[in-house]
Amino acid sequence: MLASLFLVMLQSPSAPDFAREVRPILARACFKCHGPDEGARKGKLRLDESALARLGGRSGNPAIVPGKPGNSPLVARLDAKGAQRMPPRSSGLELSAKEKAILRDWVASGAEYQRHWAFVAPVKPALPPVRQADWCRNPIDRFVLARLEAAGLKPSREADRYTLIRRLSFDLTGLPPTPGESDAFVADERPDAFARLVDRLLAHPGYGERWARKWLDLARYADTNGYEKDRPRTIWPWRDWVIGAYRGDLPYDQFGIQQLAGDMLPGATREQVVATGFHRNTMLNEEGGIDPLEFRYHAVADRVNTTGTAFLGLTLGCAQCHTHKYDPVSHVDYFRFMAFLDNAEEPELELPPEGAADKAAEARRKVAELEKALPGRFPNNSFDAAFQAWLQRERARAAARVPLVPTKLSSNLPRLRHEGDGVVFADGDATKNDIYNLEGGGSFPGMTELRVEALPDDRLPAGGPGLSYYEGPKGDFLLTRISLEIDGKPVTFTRATQTAGSSAMLVLDDNLQTGWGVPGQPGRRNAATFFTDKPMPAGTTWKVVLEFGRHYVASLGKLRLTVASPAHKDAPPLMPAEVENALASKDAPAGKALDALRAHFAASCPELANARREIDAARASVPKGPFTLVMRERPADNPRPTMRRHRGEYLEPREVVSAGVPGFLPALPAGAATNRLEFARWLFSAENPLTARVAVNRMWAALFGKGIVSTPADFGLQGAFPSHPELLDWLAATFRERGWSQKELLREIVTSATYRQASDPRADLSAKDPSNILLGRAGRFRLDAEMLRDGALKAAGLLSEKSGGPGVFPPQPANITTEGTYGPLAWKVSEGEDRYRRTIYTFTKRTAPFAFQATFDAPSGEACVARRESSNTALQSLTLLNDAMYLDAARALGRLGARQADDSAAITLMFRRVLTRPPTPADSALCLSFLQAEQKRLVASPADSKALAGGESDARSAALASLARVLLNLDEAVTRP
Amino acid sequence: MNQPVSSHSGRRAFLRQGVFSLAPLALAGLDSSAARGAPLAPKSPMGSSRAKAVIHLFMSGAPSQLDLFDPKPELTRLEGKPLPPSVIGNQRYAFIRPEAGVLGPRFKFRRHGSSGADISEVFPYLGRIADRLCFIRSMKTEQFNHAPAQMLLQTGFSQPGRPSFGSWVVYGLGAETSELPAYMVLSTGAGISGGAALWSAGFLPGEYGGTRLRNQGDPILHLSNPPGITREAQRAALDLAAGLTKPRPAAADPETSTRLAAAEMAFRLQASAPGLFDLSGESRATLERYGCDPAKPSFARACLLARRMVERGVRFVTIFHEGWDAHSDVAGNLRRNAQATDQASAALVEDLAGRGMLDETLVAWGGEFGRTPMVETNPTLGRSLGRDHHPQAFTMWLAGGGVRPGITIGRTDELGFHVVERPVEVYDLQATMLHLLGLDHTRLTFHHAGRDFRLTDIHGQVVREALA
Repeated sequence: MLASLFLVMLQSPSAPDFAREVRPILARACFKCHGPDEGARKGKLRLDESALARLGGRSGNPAIVPGKPGNSPLVARLDAKGAQRMPPRSSGLELSAKEKAILRDWVASGAEYQRHWAFVAPVKPALPPVRQADWCRNPIDRFVLARLEAAGLKPSREADRYTLIRRLSFDLTGLPPTPGESDAFVADERPDAFARLVDRLLAHPGYGERWARKWLDLARYADTNGYEKDRPRTIWPWRDWVIGAYRGDLPYDQFGIQQLAGDMLPGATREQVVATGFHRNTMLNEEGGIDPLEFRYHAVADRVNTTGTAFLGLTLGCAQCHTHKYDPVSHVDYFRFMAFLDNAEEPELELPPEGAADKAAEARRKVAELEKALPGRFPNNSFDAAFQAWLQRERARAAARVPLVPTKLSSNLPRLRHEGDGVVFADGDATKNDIYNLEGGGSFPGMTELRVEALPDDRLPAGGPGLSYYEGPKGDFLLTRISLEIDGKPVTFTRATQTAGSSAMLVLDDNLQTGWGVPGQPGRRNAATFFTDKPMPAGTTWKVVLEFGRHYVASLGKLRLTVASPAHKDAPPLMPAEVENALASKDAPAGKALDALRAHFAASCPELANARREIDAARASVPKGPFTLVMRERPADNPRPTMRRHRGEYLEPREVVSAGVPGFLPALPAGAATNRLEFARWLFSAENPLTARVAVNRMWAALFGKGIVSTPADFGLQGAFPSHPELLDWLAATFRERGWSQKELLREIVTSATYRQASDPRADLSAKDPSNILLGRAGRFRLDAEMLRDGALKAAGLLSEKSGGPGVFPPQPANITTEGTYGPLAWKVSEGEDRYRRTIYTFTKRTAPFAFQATFDAPSGEACVARRESSNTALQSLTLLNDAMYLDAARALGRLGARQADDSAAITLMFRRVLTRPPTPADSALCLSFLQAEQKRLVASPADSKALAGGESDARSAALASLARVLLNLDEAVTRP
Repeated sequence: MNQPVSSHSGRRAFLRQGVFSLAPLALAGLDSSAARGAPLAPKSPMGSSRAKAVIHLFMSGAPSQLDLFDPKPELTRLEGKPLPPSVIGNQRYAFIRPEAGVLGPRFKFRRHGSSGADISEVFPYLGRIADRLCFIRSMKTEQFNHAPAQMLLQTGFSQPGRPSFGSWVVYGLGAETSELPAYMVLSTGAGISGGAALWSAGFLPGEYGGTRLRNQGDPILHLSNPPGITREAQRAALDLAAGLTKPRPAAADPETSTRLAAAEMAFRLQASAPGLFDLSGESRATLERYGCDPAKPSFARACLLARRMVERGVRFVTIFHEGWDAHSDVAGNLRRNAQATDQASAALVEDLAGRGMLDETLVAWGGEFGRTPMVETNPTLGRSLGRDHHPQAFTMWLAGGGVRPGITIGRTDELGFHVVERPVEVYDLQATMLHLLGLDHTRLTFHHAGRDFRLTDIHGQVVREALA
């Protein structure tokens, strides 16, 4: 409270500052019932806008009479008795005497409203005058010093060089400096030594991992799908894209636009499409029997909320169920935001490895060659004779097959389209129980079978033929019922066969839980044939109804219906359509048809099975890349309608809503399309008041421990007022001016005198500004989980700085991801350097996260996190003391120490590798006496010595490992200084 | 216990304790870190309370209320016939189709104790303590899938990311002990659908998260020293760490003293935790009462440990026993789970009572939803005689901690499909349990992402009938 009073004192006592002092009180105490949310409004009174407050509510009297607090109910009601008092006692809200005085003074001074500061675009402010101008290194310092001086405070001295390089190295690369790097910097007497260090660290590859991690928190990155099953997914190529984008300093506007809508950029590159994985980081519920569209809705809501948090600093999620209680975001506005993000499909993008295209061309050539040579490899060189025999046999039993060409296609939800020759393709959304209605003209008198071909297609999950994309095998389907009507009269089926999979007879029973499916054969063509009890009658129209369903989506994505009347009962095996047609033709095959028949025979006759293995091998030799999750805008002719959902509930859809942005933010450019791409561009338009501020505030928070706005996820009316509003605007404007370069902005900040201050607590600051709001010293805070672990590994000389690739499995107790976990994951510890990779590459399982990260407040990837909590717990202490990885590091560091000539040198080396600075004589003495005591103990207990050192080592190495363990545990070791 | 939820002075005391101090200060441009102080310091409840601790026996997977606590002879009469569509309405199901036939209760029921509570024969031990229990037969939930329903019960929201029940309670009441974590989580049976989000601190500070006890290896992660480090060596290590830290100017940073204190707590925890897990001091009679083999992880052992934790000042214990998801052979499933849990659940309540701890310990038993009156049979999945997920009605029981014993609250229709009397939503259960702990669910809030969040979101009514 001290500090808040202190802030108040900075203002003129007579006319309170509306933005800084008055609105926060109104927002907290009044807007819930007298704000933007119509549903929650009491007494028809609004106090969030000047004109409306003056108009008054139901009573018809103005709530505020400017200049006359005595005549203003808003003031009078603050001290009223009983039910008249505002805010009402039942709200639990209490205003202090000071707050009431502010409201009174504000009304007395004219009750001027101002627009909320964050909703007005930043303008680069003039630099404030300061007395101690020579302290300032750049404009940032002017803003900071001006406030310090106004409070009668002095900045802290510059931190010593060891502290500076340790701070900078962690801040810019997430890693501590080596003793060599520290020495070089400490000895560097050039005037630009610091700037050179900044340049070196900004160019260090570790910069990518360090800053990408913060973005991954916002993006809720993980390597599993979440929820009950929590199965692995592949989206690390997106993670690597982010790391690469940081390393290459991709301008923040491009960084954002590519992630939100890279797929829609003209001539989108593969990298730009990979970037859209940003919003594919939503969870996927694969629990048995969920409603997939309900969880799709939750995922899209998550995308809206995450976009609000990450780019706009708006708590859009508050408007999902009802109009925002504080910010001018209506319930409809929420769904208008959603409409931008809702119109996308969610495919996987293959990323073939380097050289795959060449290998594919080579394979194609080889396959063609081998196919051509196949006949020659027929046993006894008798291909032609065998082919003729086969042809004769098959022609005798072939039946003319007539495709059913539908002219009317409908379903409960998926869009069905006829793609020619009877082929029907389904796209759009699907449910757990889809019904396809296919109708056409004509009839097929005398036909005795209806065949359903399930057709593969690269547009379908795993190549189809089914639409299954979660829980079940990808591309799976289950046909549970079929009916055929001719002129409205049902045709009865008595028997069914199938080329593979479960019995097609199950389609004909009454049980809708059973049917025909071909699990485990994605990308293959199969068919089920249904036989009629008597030949089909003549008529003018036909209608086929197909019903699909499982406890997951299991509809066919591509199918074809044919009818036939085979002369023979033993139906021929399924063959390609052109082969079937050629066989059924009355004319003897010739030309292309004959070629097709020969090729089919060569490709299927048992005699050539062995010879064909080489062809299969050639096909399989083409390397397949990983598939990463991306976005793809829906086709223009099949947009997905976005509905407002009453109370935010999936089961309560209301009117269709079109995409748009709320009125308090700048409009979309006139004439631009209202789609995801234009929305992404709008975020970075010059008029947008939020995007740049929100981004620079996060960078500031990473370097000072807290943002200029201490609520980085909330720049709305309930958010914190900026501690240095002009500085925030200066940074935002500068960020934009310098082409949204994050590296340039970071360079500006870290080269300020403000950043270079010592971080040691100061008694005068602790008394007047205990939270260091005014930045009279630098920030001092516990390292994030990743920096802790990476730093310990680096100090021990174990860290692998290998970049990118699939998630790795560093050592941790095996049962973390198995015991009590519904979707257990065997934590097979990685080999070699993958044990010691940077922590950002650790495989992240949402329901059972890597224990070290979870213990040190790293998020699980289940929700967007703009600011990690930083806790201090006994379990953290236990981890630092006893975790096997930390023991590994202590042993390795001890071994480095053991190579030194004497204990003193060993202590200095280990100390510096962990803490950067050299030990003081007192430090050395304490360490030495510990080391000697440990050595004595371990000499006396060889078993302990061996156990501690982890192998054949002497007591000295063991004692050094024991000392290293303490050093890695020090408060100083886990703190960014 | 019918006094108002909190007196004005109670609330003021609460404010002084700083629980709410995390939010409002933000208004003045401050953040919360300066006001954080000691997040786990014990705090006075908002109102008077009976319960000081909670043991939540979370029967995850969802037990069948129709075969355990809510007898429906009508289902036997209708066995095999479908329910009228008017009963089912537009309820979505995980696996079955709405036209599935009815399945009668698989076990015989008997009335128990002077309260006459109906309990099926598969739970003989619970039958004997029926008079200590308060049954709520009219539980309802919004979710019909495990992970979302478990999250709703544990965090008040169906998606992960919110603070769990135990986190809210420790946030509201602080810790009674600094020797052990205030919020402990055990699991037996199969894996838990909702995952670690079920005991996460969510957006509350990490100190409030649940500590997961493990059945293999160290019961608390990293509790044991590395090989070759004796307790004395650990002491010397901490002393050296303190010796190197305290002379530094940074030692004036309150975060540094907090971390030094955390290390000391870890050291004490290493000493006290083994005592917690060492069951050799428990009498043979006690072990037999629970049916506990001290050497083997089991639900019985978890219950006994829970009692020992509460004795030592632990605030909130959740035991997840997963495995009630009887999509097939509901009778066999219940026999197996009853074998694992019935005796120990009853023993826990009796043991707490015998030690005079039941009055201050709230025990809650139940799953995340109920099971359908209709049968689940699915040849494709190889299932028969099971029951699917049923969110409209299920049964839970409470005991101790200021709960009125020997009563049954609420009623379902003759098919056990819908609640027809005194519906109790998940939020109502949460509000009631918080109330018993002296916490007002409408005022136990934390400001996050633009608004004040509560365990009960915007819902919840205390179930007054359940209060003694």
